[in-house]
Amino acid sequence: MKITYPHMGSLNMILKTMFEGIGVEVIDPPPSTNKTLTLGVRNSHEFACLPFKINVGNFIEALDKGADTIIMLGGIGPCRFGYYGQVQREILKDLGYDFKMIIVDPPHGRLIDFLKELASYFPNVDGKTALKSFVFAVKKMIAADKLEKFLLKYRAHEDNPGVTTKIYEEYMKKLEKAQNGKEVDKIVSEAMKKIKENANVRRKIQLKVALVGEIYMLLEPFTNMDISKSLNELGVEVTKTEYLSDYLINSAFKLPQRMEFKKNARGYLERDIGGHGLNTVANTVKYAKLNYDGVIHILPFTCTPEIVAQGIIAKISRDYNIPVMSLVYDENTGQAGYQTRLEAFVDLLYRKRMEVVC
Amino acid sequence: MSKTVGIPKGLLYYDFYPMWKTFFEGVGAKVVVSQDTNKKILDEGVKNCVEDACLPVKTYVGHVINLKEKDVDYIFIPRIVSVERKKYLCSKFLGLPDFIKSLIGDLPPIIDIEINYYKNNDKFTQNEFIKVGRMFGKTKDQSLKAYFKATHQQKKFESLLKEGLTNLEVGRMFGKTKDQSLKAYFKATHQQKKFESLLKEGLTNLEALKVWEGKNLVKEESNYDLKIAVIAHPYDIMDEYISMGIIEKLKNMGAQVYTMEMLERDLILEGVSMLSKEMFWNYERDILGAGLYFLKQKNVDGVIMVSAFGCGPNSMTEELLERIYKREKEVPFMLITIDEHSGEAGIMTRLEAFTDLLRFNKKAVMV
Repeated sequence: MKITYPHMGSLNMILKTMFEGIGVEVIDPPPSTNKTLTLGVRNSHEFACLPFKINVGNFIEALDKGADTIIMLGGIGPCRFGYYGQVQREILKDLGYDFKMIIVDPPHGRLIDFLKELASYFPNVDGKTALKSFVFAVKKMIAADKLEKFLLKYRAHEDNPGVTTKIYEEYMKKLEKAQNGKEVDKIVSEAMKKIKENANVRRKIQLKVALVGEIYMLLEPFTNMDISKSLNELGVEVTKTEYLSDYLINSAFKLPQRMEFKKNARGYLERDIGGHGLNTVANTVKYAKLNYDGVIHILPFTCTPEIVAQGIIAKISRDYNIPVMSLVYDENTGQAGYQTRLEAFVDLLYRKRMEVVC
Repeated sequence: MSKTVGIPKGLLYYDFYPMWKTFFEGVGAKVVVSQDTNKKILDEGVKNCVEDACLPVKTYVGHVINLKEKDVDYIFIPRIVSVERKKYLCSKFLGLPDFIKSLIGDLPPIIDIEINYYKNNDKFTQNEFIKVGRMFGKTKDQSLKAYFKATHQQKKFESLLKEGLTNLEVGRMFGKTKDQSLKAYFKATHQQKKFESLLKEGLTNLEALKVWEGKNLVKEESNYDLKIAVIAHPYDIMDEYISMGIIEKLKNMGAQVYTMEMLERDLILEGVSMLSKEMFWNYERDILGAGLYFLKQKNVDGVIMVSAFGCGPNSMTEELLERIYKREKEVPFMLITIDEHSGEAGIMTRLEAFTDLLRFNKKAVMV
C-alpha cells in the first residue's frame, strides 16, 4: 500500500510523520505548481472551488508517481467539502486510474472519531505505536505553526529582503526530517533566534493586518500567492487567523473557541453556516476590537459560506470603521493584480493612520 | 388594522408559500407578496448584493427591497437550516437573515425564525418546549410536564408539533395565544399538503401555486411528442424572468416537462440508492435522485439541468450526474447555466438544438 493525500499547508509533513511512524509507505504529492492547477482545472467542474481543483491535481500527480491509495476526509455538510471525495473518486475513475480511496467520514467531526475510523483501515498496527507517532506528528505541527506565526510578525522588520524567508524555508526542511521531540524544540528556537537577528527595521507607523477567510486558502501559500509574504515585504505585520494546530485542537475539544466565535459574531451572524463563514465574521469583529489597521478576507471563487460572510463583514467594516478587503482567488495565476490591490490597500491604511497622527 | 407581513418572491417561496401564507393569515396578519421578478428588481438586487453571490440570492435581495418600498410592517426571512432529518440546506439559507440585514439598511423588523429539523432527538425538543414555555410565562417544570404529556401522543404528531413551535414564536408577535397559533399552524400544513399533491399530479410549482390561489389554468392541448425532465432548484426555473421561461419555451417546442417536485419521494430515494454516500443537502439529494431515476427508468427523452452561475452545491451534483450520464450513454443530458444576462437568443438556440437532437434520436430508433 502506497498512501497519498492532498496538500494543505504543512499537513503533508504531519501525515508523512504519522504514517511513516506506523510503517506505511507514503508517496508525497509533488508540491502544488501551475501544472497541478492546470490538471485540476481541466478535470473539474468550472464552479468547483479552488481547493477541490488543486486536490484533484495533487491526486493525479501522486497517482502518476506510483501511489495507489488516497486518504481523504469526508463530512456531513453544509460545506461542499464533505462531498469532495465522492466526486473526486468518480473523476479519477473516468481518467482510468486504478486506486483505492479511503474517505474518512467522522460522524461528528470530532478528532477521536477521525482517529478511530482511520485506525480501522490499518488493522495490523498496534495502538501504542500509532498513538506515539500521532503525538509526535502533532508536536511537529504545533512547532511549524509557532514558527510561522513568528515569521509573519518579524519578516515585516527584516534588514535584507528575502533573507528571513530563506531562513524559514531552511528550518522547515530540517523540521520535516526531525526524528524526536528534542530535535524539534532545538530547530524552532534556533530558527527564531536567527530570524530575530535579521529583523531590526523600526517604523514610525507600524501597520498590523489580520488575514481572515477560508482555511485552505489561508494555509496554502500556493493558492493565495503567498499573500502574507507580499504584505510582510510591504512592511506590514500579519496575523493569520487559521492554523492547522488551532483547527485540530478545536476539533478535539470542541467547546472553547467555538463559543468565542459565536460570542464575537453575535449581532452579525447567529449560527454556524458551514465552512469557515462563522470564523471569518467572528475574527473580523475580534481584530477590529483589537485595533488592527485592516482586515483582508480571502476566499476561493464560488465559496458560499464565505460569500455570505463577505456581505456581513462589509457591515462590520462600516460599524467599526476598519478597512476590509475581500480577495477572491480562482485559477488565474496573474499575481500583479493582487499585488496592486495589496499596495493600494496598504497605502490606504497608512493614510488612515496619518490622519490620526496629524 | 391588521399588520402586514411581506414575503419575498424568491428562493423557497416556491416550495413553502402556501404554508407560510396560511399560517400568517391564521394569526391575523395580512400577507403581501413582492412583485414578479422584473428588470428593476433584478437590477436592484445585483446592485445591493455581493458580486459573487448566485443569481437567485441577488434576485431575492431585489424582492426584499421591493417589499421595503411597499411599506410592510414585517418581512418574513426565515433561517431555514434543515427541512429534513440529518439533511442541511445550502449555506446561504443558514445565514440568509443575517446576510440580508447586513446588505440592506433601514429594513422593517425581520421575522427570522429558525426552521430546523436536523436533530430530532428528545433533548433538543425538550429545550425547544422549555424555551417556548418561557415565552408564555411558564416555568421549566410546567413546560416539562406539558412536554411529557405531549410525548405520549403519537410520534408523528410530535414532529409536527415541533415545527409548530418554531412557528409559535411568530404567532406571539401578533398577540395570539399558543392554541390559536397551533391551529393556524395545522391549517397551514394542511394547505401545504394540498399544494404538494398538486405537484405530484404533474403541475410545476408555479402552476400549482396558481391553482392553489384559485386561479384557472388555461387547459393546454396535449400534443406533446417529447418528454423532457428539467431538474433544477425551483427558485432557478420557476422564476420566469431569471430562467427566461425555459419551461414555457420547452412546452411551446412540443415537449412535456417533468420537474423533480413531481416525483414521489420514494422514487427519488430509489435513484439516490445508486450512490455510495447520500448527499447531505436535501435539495441536492433530490436533484441527484431525480437525475438517476430518469436515467434508470429511461421514461423521458432527455434531461436538462439548469443551475445558477457559481452555484456551489450544484458544482458537485452536476459533475456527478454528467459523468454518470456520459458513462451510460442512454439519455441525452444538457447543462444550462443562468446568470444575470438577459439575452434570450442563446438559451433559445440551445433548447432548439436539444429538442432537434431528441427528435432525431427518436426517428433513428423507429427506422
